[in-house]
Amino acid sequence: MSETIHDKTVFTLLEVAHSIQRTLNERYRSSFWVKAEMNKLNHYSHSGHCYPELLEKKEEKVVAQVRATLWKDDYLRINENFLKTLKEPLKNGINILFQARILFDPVHGLSLRILDIDPSWSLGELEREKQKSMERLKEEQLFFLNKSLPLPLLPQRIAIISVETSKGFADFQKVIDQNPWKYKFFYLLFPSLLQGDKVAEAIVHQLQRIEKVKHHFDVVAIIRGGGGDIGLSGYNRYDLAKSIACFPLPVITGIGHVTNETVAEMVAFKNCITPTELADFLIQQFHNFSIPVNESRKTLIHSVNQQLADTKKEAGRTISLFLKHTTNLISTTRRELLSHARRVKTHSGFYIRNARNQVKLVSRSLRKNTTLLLGASATATSGLKPILKKETAVFFQQLGHEIDIRAKQVSMLDPKNVLARGFSITLFQDKAIRSPHVVRPGDPIKTITFDGIIESTVTTIQPGP
Amino acid sequence: MSEKITYTAAFEELQLIVNEIETGEISVDQLSQKVRRAAFLIGVCKEKLTTTEADVNQILKELGDD
Repeated sequence: MSETIHDKTVFTLLEVAHSIQRTLNERYRSSFWVKAEMNKLNHYSHSGHCYPELLEKKEEKVVAQVRATLWKDDYLRINENFLKTLKEPLKNGINILFQARILFDPVHGLSLRILDIDPSWSLGELEREKQKSMERLKEEQLFFLNKSLPLPLLPQRIAIISVETSKGFADFQKVIDQNPWKYKFFYLLFPSLLQGDKVAEAIVHQLQRIEKVKHHFDVVAIIRGGGGDIGLSGYNRYDLAKSIACFPLPVITGIGHVTNETVAEMVAFKNCITPTELADFLIQQFHNFSIPVNESRKTLIHSVNQQLADTKKEAGRTISLFLKHTTNLISTTRRELLSHARRVKTHSGFYIRNARNQVKLVSRSLRKNTTLLLGASATATSGLKPILKKETAVFFQQLGHEIDIRAKQVSMLDPKNVLARGFSITLFQDKAIRSPHVVRPGDPIKTITFDGIIESTVTTIQPGP
Repeated sequence: MSEKITYTAAFEELQLIVNEIETGEISVDQLSQKVRRAAFLIGVCKEKLTTTEADVNQILKELGDD
């Protein structure tokens, strides 16, 4: 109970809390339906309970905020309904229509206990617009148009849609300008609103400007950051998503939020969660170019060295093979020569011995034969002696006989004998006259007879018959 | 570098040469010439990474035409 201190009625905190609790319980006897934005679900996986953060905003300003309690069993049932209807679980940042009772706890204070949530209501304007945008882009076959563009090998020149003073742009610049690899980028800012109702018109306008000078750029980057998750519904609008999808250069987004991907991000060439990630993505493209170049260099050096080494090795192999073969050939030839030499030596010795033996044999037989021959000769000679004596006697006898005959013939031819038989020789100037023509009448001639000489003179000459 | 060559072309030609050398399609006689060409292309690629030829004034002029 209350007490009085310094003339004041004073309650304990618990008394006040209990009083509030009683009053609320009496006033709010039944449950009721409420619509609010569930900024955070705050699901505790350990206990399975949720403590959602409920908001109401007017013109982007929070005008009401109440904590809620969603017990495990209720959460599981509601979540299943959401999955069925929205094809998504119960999550942060959605508008909900829920049935609630007021709870007051002396320690934890006021909260709304959520009994049920109507999932169809949560689809809401925003979600409906998003779904419609997506469906239409897909029907018109624009959805994947930007994604199908080729990204330049080096996305070096970047048209940036952002706000000069935004944290996201600063983050992006920091990464790009201070990259340690000294990759050189060129970027130009096309300033635009990045959230709220006018975001779609503003971005579309800048895209149109960029399109005029598109030949100066490789990519477009839409960069936002530090703006929280509020006011992004514009990114789900069909007109903005279409401009991005149809843009002739790849559009990369770095919107920087944690809620569901917007349609603009879905149709973009590439969606990065944050501006930093976007900058990293661009640098990565440079790496993708630079690394193969460096690799090429390494590969080149390695391959060339390898090839030279291989060639050298092969030459070495050939040389050693050549050496081996020639050495073999030389040693084989030497061996053969030596073997020939040995054979020559062996055979020549044999021949010499043979020849010597033959010589010996011949000389022996020569000696023997000579003796024999001499013996035989002596025998023959001694046999011949009487024959010789006899034959010689006969020979000389015959010879004496023949000589007698010849002596008779010779004596018959002797001029004395001829002269004796009555023949004479007439001489002129001491030469025998064989023809009457050698003398003339008056010439003195001499006639020799057997027993005297007649001297006369030629009177006539008569030629012979 | 007097020769005008896009980085895409330089990159592709470089890959081609590396591939040729790697697969041993190039004889030792051609090697020196190919390596010299590859070195030139690597130079081109590396230069592209660290320079741009963008002209802000030209872009602003073209934008100002509307």
